[in-house]
Amino acid sequence: MYRYDAVDRLIVEERVAQFRDQTRRYLAGELDEDAFRPLRLQNGLYIQRYAPMLRIAIPYGALSTTQLRKLADIARRYDRGYAHFTTRQNIQYNWVRVEDVPDILGDLASVSMHAIQTSGSCVRNVTTDALAGVAADEIVDPRPYCEILRQWSTVHPEFAHLPRKFKVAFNGAKEDRAATPVHDLAFDLVRDDAGEVRVVVKVGGGQGRTPRLASIIKRDLHWSELLNYTEAVLRVYNRLGRRDNIFKARIKIQVQELGAEEFARLTDEEWSHIKGGPNTLTQDALDRVRGYFVDPPLQPRGEASSRLALGANFRAWKKRNLAAHKHADYAGVSISLKREGVAPGDATADEMDFIADLADRYSCGEVRVSYHQNLILPHVARADLEALYSALDGKGLARANIDLASDIICCPGGDFCSLANAKSIPLSARIAEKLAPDRGGSRRDRDQCVWLHQCLRAPSCRAYRRAWRREGGRGLVSGVDRRPARWPGRARRADRQGCA
Amino acid sequence: MSLIIELDADGPQVRGQAPERAAPAPPKPANEGHGDMRKKIVPVVKPAAGPSASAWEGGAYVSMQQWLDGEPEGGAILLQPGDDVRALDGRIGNAALISVDFHRINDGRGYSHAFLLRNRLKYRGRLRALGAVTADQVYAMARVGFDSFALRADQKAEVALSALESFSTPYQGAVVAGDAAARRDANARARVRLLERSLTEIAARHERPALASSLSAEDMVVTDVIARLGLPIDVFTLDTGRLHEETLALIAQTEKRYGITLAVHRPDDEAVQEFVARYGRDGFYEGLPQRKACCFVRKVLPLGRALEGRDAWITGQRREQALSRGALAEAEQDAERGIAKYNPLAEWSWADVLAYAGQYDIPMSALYARGYVSIGCAPCTKAIRPGEDPRNGRWWWENQDGKECGLHTNTVAR
Repeated sequence: MYRYDAVDRLIVEERVAQFRDQTRRYLAGELDEDAFRPLRLQNGLYIQRYAPMLRIAIPYGALSTTQLRKLADIARRYDRGYAHFTTRQNIQYNWVRVEDVPDILGDLASVSMHAIQTSGSCVRNVTTDALAGVAADEIVDPRPYCEILRQWSTVHPEFAHLPRKFKVAFNGAKEDRAATPVHDLAFDLVRDDAGEVRVVVKVGGGQGRTPRLASIIKRDLHWSELLNYTEAVLRVYNRLGRRDNIFKARIKIQVQELGAEEFARLTDEEWSHIKGGPNTLTQDALDRVRGYFVDPPLQPRGEASSRLALGANFRAWKKRNLAAHKHADYAGVSISLKREGVAPGDATADEMDFIADLADRYSCGEVRVSYHQNLILPHVARADLEALYSALDGKGLARANIDLASDIICCPGGDFCSLANAKSIPLSARIAEKLAPDRGGSRRDRDQCVWLHQCLRAPSCRAYRRAWRREGGRGLVSGVDRRPARWPGRARRADRQGCA
Repeated sequence: MSLIIELDADGPQVRGQAPERAAPAPPKPANEGHGDMRKKIVPVVKPAAGPSASAWEGGAYVSMQQWLDGEPEGGAILLQPGDDVRALDGRIGNAALISVDFHRINDGRGYSHAFLLRNRLKYRGRLRALGAVTADQVYAMARVGFDSFALRADQKAEVALSALESFSTPYQGAVVAGDAAARRDANARARVRLLERSLTEIAARHERPALASSLSAEDMVVTDVIARLGLPIDVFTLDTGRLHEETLALIAQTEKRYGITLAVHRPDDEAVQEFVARYGRDGFYEGLPQRKACCFVRKVLPLGRALEGRDAWITGQRREQALSRGALAEAEQDAERGIAKYNPLAEWSWADVLAYAGQYDIPMSALYARGYVSIGCAPCTKAIRPGEDPRNGRWWWENQDGKECGLHTNTVAR
């Protein structure tokens, strides 16, 4: 878990105070909607189809149980007793009131959380492997690099009004669990022959109406140039990215129109002026930030002898929902939030409190959120697996479907989002129903995940799906057919940054 | 001339005047939580068709192309969002003013113009933002290099001026990429700012808040902020009758330095006589109950009187001071008195306290120089040797558990 220092705390507190004043002026009629829109978006507040929605960042998906309980508390006090974990390690409240938002942000600040830049045309919440610092196949712990980039991009004066949203992801493991090819800017952290960390830079990936996979524009960036090179990419995009058409404004279109080589050349030219400049990372800075991530000391625990008669369900769950941990006596345990009758990624306040209790008991007080919209207990001793399974099973949270077709990744779609071209929740419900174990669906529930995206169109989706598979991406990425009745022709009039 | 704010060597100056305008009608709340929102959302404003201004104080603007063609002496350039400002490299030495036109709030190209002008082209003259410039943008604009803001007609100067102060220690530069010392300095500034904010908020939230000061370095830090900001927070101390001379001297010194009065609360004579009659004057050395009884008479009861009629009190307690304070919250509820209790220094280390003391040159008890780490009653505190456990500095004859005087009990974190 990252621990805030006084600088972190003060920025979050001053941001809350700033937005409190802006909201007050807006509600008093001193600030018009046009001026307020970018301000509220960059504080996570959307106006959605039915109600304002507030999106909160969960950097690198890591939550302490104190934070998780606070999220449950906010769901009860300001919303309808539940919240939605998104496809980008954020959490959304779909029924808040505008006038309550400054207080919610104040509550979040008290547990070192915020909603800064979770929406709007700016650098969004940086995401990475939900098992960062834990996974057995990790090459480089991505969290210090993510955190450095997060801090640098937070309230960055030059890049708060980009042509469009800008999503950044890091991967530091053998298996990419951060979906980096579908990000605007993505970094693979690798080690060269000398063991030095090098960065592979990819740019121009994205989903939506024009799905694209990111192109590599730099293969061996030295880690110390991470911020300088990012600054160069952002300046090229900010200056030259398209602003005439909202549907062509993402960096993927710029990269496509220029060609990846030309984009790389422009970036290199810009980079040549700032290389070695004031944002060059020192070993000292990296070590300092690494020291802010305090991981729990894990004691050897060994395997427990079986005491409970749990049978086939337990074995299936153990086979399906566990991830290998650096410490052989431990495992990362996924809690599937894909249940029949519940929208993917939704959890009630009671469930959040329950999972926080389990995390205190079995996972050193830490919970992770994955882009698959599931929760992970990252440090569970293998000796505790049976007890944990029984507790989860008692609340219907032991579904053994991680990475199966029923583990559907699904943004809220037309049920909430004002720019979606289709409703993805009913579709996910139909799929879930077909694959329900008690209807004999488990045979059909194969090893492929379904990724439903409200804005993917079927034709562009097919090409994209092939490319996604070529990149080693697993599972089925599925778009939706354009249905005139549900296609809001005037979607541009609503908030467009609808995706997490 | 529109309303212009300019950053000069001696701070922001307001020049020009806002044009008269009718007050806008207050918007309806964005959403009541019902109905299809798409119908209510205001359409996106289209980009401006032409430049937002044609003239500055010294005459007509020229476009970038006109400037490059003619380079008029002492003229002013008006840059448009699509201009490639790098073309001006080496050609802007004699510009009297460069203005950047913002056609829309969400068109961020002008920010990169400013960065390039300042950092790559080394332009040192006046750099003005005009067009869609609102009060809420000036903070970022100033940080990226603008020093002049021609506000949109409906904007207020005072909102823009306060927006310039939005963040005290922004993340970029050395705060992120610098060495540990750079971050330590930023943290020291941030810590002071957090303390100032929290005391200002306590003063605003409560009718009669007070700081309970033992004249320790921590309490002097809080006193210094209260006096420096002129906050309506009283400061009181408990003279137990057994204080060090140095402590008593510091009361007078503090009052003189800050021009404030410390209310001094003393124990009830009768209660003290009763304690002395029962246990002897120094009977507290005999055992924990005796010591607690002495603390009760000399500290806890006077504290109760000091807090009568108050709705909040503040202490200088820190988490690292004692095991019993390890989970100390910054805001607590004093359940016994039903009032709020604040420990704004909870997160501070001893080094943080010393750093503040050095920076603001606050009066410090002479006892610290003699090896004391805890300022209390003379018979119950003593100096410790370097490297010795600080907890040996108080009630050293007792067990390590329960080393509290009874002032800080029965509270719940809020």
